[in-house]
Amino acid sequence: MDIYLPIAEVSVNAPLLVALGLIVGFISGLFGIGGGFLMAPVLVFMGIPPAVAVASQANHVVASSASSVFAYGRRGAVDFRMGGVLAAGGIVGSVLGVEGFRILRVLGQADLVVALSYLTFLGVIGGLMLVESVSALQRRKRGQPMAEPKDRRPAWLYGLPLKLRFPRSRLYISVLPPLGIGAFVGVLSAVMGVGGGFVLVPAMIYLLRVPARTVVGTSLFQIIITTAVVTILQAGRNQTVDLVLASLLIFGGVVGAQLGARASSRFRAEELRIVLAVIVLLVGLQMGLGVFVAPKDPFVLISGLGQ
Amino acid sequence: MDYVPATAHLSAALTSTQVEVTSSYHGETIVLYGAVFSPRDQPCDVVVVVRGPEQPIRIARKVQVAGLWLNHRPAVFQGAPGFYTVSSARPLKAIAAPGVLQRLGIGIEHLSFQTPEAKPAKPPLKLGPRLVGIHGRDYQDYRQAVVRLKQAERLYDQNEAGVAFVDKGLFRAQIALPSSAPIGLYEAKIYLFQSGHPIQVRRRMLNVQKVGLERAVYVFAHSRPWTYGIIAVLFAVATGYGAAVIFRRS
Repeated sequence: MDIYLPIAEVSVNAPLLVALGLIVGFISGLFGIGGGFLMAPVLVFMGIPPAVAVASQANHVVASSASSVFAYGRRGAVDFRMGGVLAAGGIVGSVLGVEGFRILRVLGQADLVVALSYLTFLGVIGGLMLVESVSALQRRKRGQPMAEPKDRRPAWLYGLPLKLRFPRSRLYISVLPPLGIGAFVGVLSAVMGVGGGFVLVPAMIYLLRVPARTVVGTSLFQIIITTAVVTILQAGRNQTVDLVLASLLIFGGVVGAQLGARASSRFRAEELRIVLAVIVLLVGLQMGLGVFVAPKDPFVLISGLGQ
Repeated sequence: MDYVPATAHLSAALTSTQVEVTSSYHGETIVLYGAVFSPRDQPCDVVVVVRGPEQPIRIARKVQVAGLWLNHRPAVFQGAPGFYTVSSARPLKAIAAPGVLQRLGIGIEHLSFQTPEAKPAKPPLKLGPRLVGIHGRDYQDYRQAVVRLKQAERLYDQNEAGVAFVDKGLFRAQIALPSSAPIGLYEAKIYLFQSGHPIQVRRRMLNVQKVGLERAVYVFAHSRPWTYGIIAVLFAVATGYGAAVIFRRS
C-alpha cells in the first residue's frame, strides 16, 4: 500500500513507515534515546529527500519522546530543572544548527558533514559503550564485584560560577556545563536530524554525574524541547516538515515507545547497552564510510530546497 | 468535387488533461492519440515532445581530497525542464537535420541550460554557486552529467519507438511520468515532419496537480509555515500523551 507524501513528493510504502516508527519508537523507549540516528538513514534509503527526512523525523522524535516522558514522569524519574537548563542550551544550539545547515546546503557540503558527523559521533560513542559494557559483563560473569562508580566529581564542575541546586538529581553545580552540553546537542539535532540522546545520556552520566535514576527521563524531556524547536524552525524556514510522513512514523512510534519503556525493566542493563552499542556502531560505519568509497558517478544532483 | 488539402494535416489529443496527485499517486502514464491526414500518401513523421515545468538544477562534481570524496561548489543551471521526453517512430536524425531539430529544441542534446554567468553578476559571495561558463571546458562535462543523472531518474527520456502507428495515419504515444516528476503545467508539442521539415505543430497542455489532502497539506505548509510547524509539534505531543494514557489503563 503506497502513499504519496505531499512535501517529500515521493510515493512510499505506508505500512513500512509505520513499522519503522514502531521499531525506532521501541528502541527509543528502551534506551532513552530519540532513535533519530536509526531513522534518517532508512528514510533516505527509501528515497525521501534528506532535508525532508531530517525535518519530519524530528517531529516523530517529539511524539515518541513525549510518550516515554509521561511514563517516566509518573515514576518521578524526570529532573525538570536539569532538563530545562539543558533545553535552554538546546534551543540556542538548534537555531545555530538550522542556519548552519542552510549554509552547508548552499555550499553543497551538507551530505558530507552529515556523513562525517554520523561516522565520528556514532563511531566514538558506540565504540566506547561497547568496550565499557563488555568489560562490565565479563566482570559480572567472573563473579567480580561491579567496579564502584567513581563518586568524585571533577573539580571544575564546582569551580564554575552560576551554581544552581538540582534537588531531583541531588546536585549543586554550575549551569554552564549543562547549557554547553545542551547547545552542542541542539546543533547535532539540526544537522543530523537526531534528538541527541546518544550524546546527552553519556554526557549526563560521566560529566555531570546525574544519578542513573533520572538520566533517561531527563534526557527525553530535553529531547522533546529541542526537537520541537527544530521542527518549528525547519517548517518555518525551509518548509521541509512532511505531516503525512511524520504522522505515519508517529503512530508507530508512540506505541513502540510505550512497549520499549515497559520492556526496559526486563533486560539486564549491560546486555542492553551491548546491543545498543553494536547498533550505534553499525549505523555510524554504514553512514560514514560511504565518503571514502569512489562514487559511481563523479557528479551528484543536489535537491534545490533551501535556496 | 471534394476539397483535398494540398499538404498533410495533423490532429492530436491527450486522453486526459489533468493528472490528479492523490495519496495513492505513484506516477502516471499519459496516452496521446492523433491522426495524420496525408492526401498524397507522402511519408510523414510524428515527434511528440513533452516538457514539464522549469526547475533550477544544482549539480556538484565530486573530488577526492585526502581520501575523502567531497562535493565541489555546486553549479546552477536555469531554464532546464523538470521533465522532458521526446517520442518518435524512428531515430530523430533520420527525421530531420540537426540544425532543424536544434532550432525547434527537439532532443535532449538541444535543451538549453543557462548558467548564472549570463545574468548580471551577483556580489561575489563565497557562498554563491560555482560558475560554469557556457563556453568553458567544464560546461560539456556538467551538461552531460545533468542529462545522465536525469535519465537515470527517468525524468529525461528519448524514445525512438515511442510513437506507434496503430492504423493507417492513426498514431499513439505513451509517456510515463514517474512519481518524482515535478508538479505543474506540462506542455506536449506534436510535430509533423515531412521530408525533413516541420510542416505543422499542435500544442496540448497537461496539468499535474495535487488534490485533496495532498494539496491542503502542501498549501498550508507553504502559506503559514510557522503555524504549520507549531501544529505539527502539538499533534506530536498530543499523540505521545494519548498513547501514554491508553497504555497506563491497559
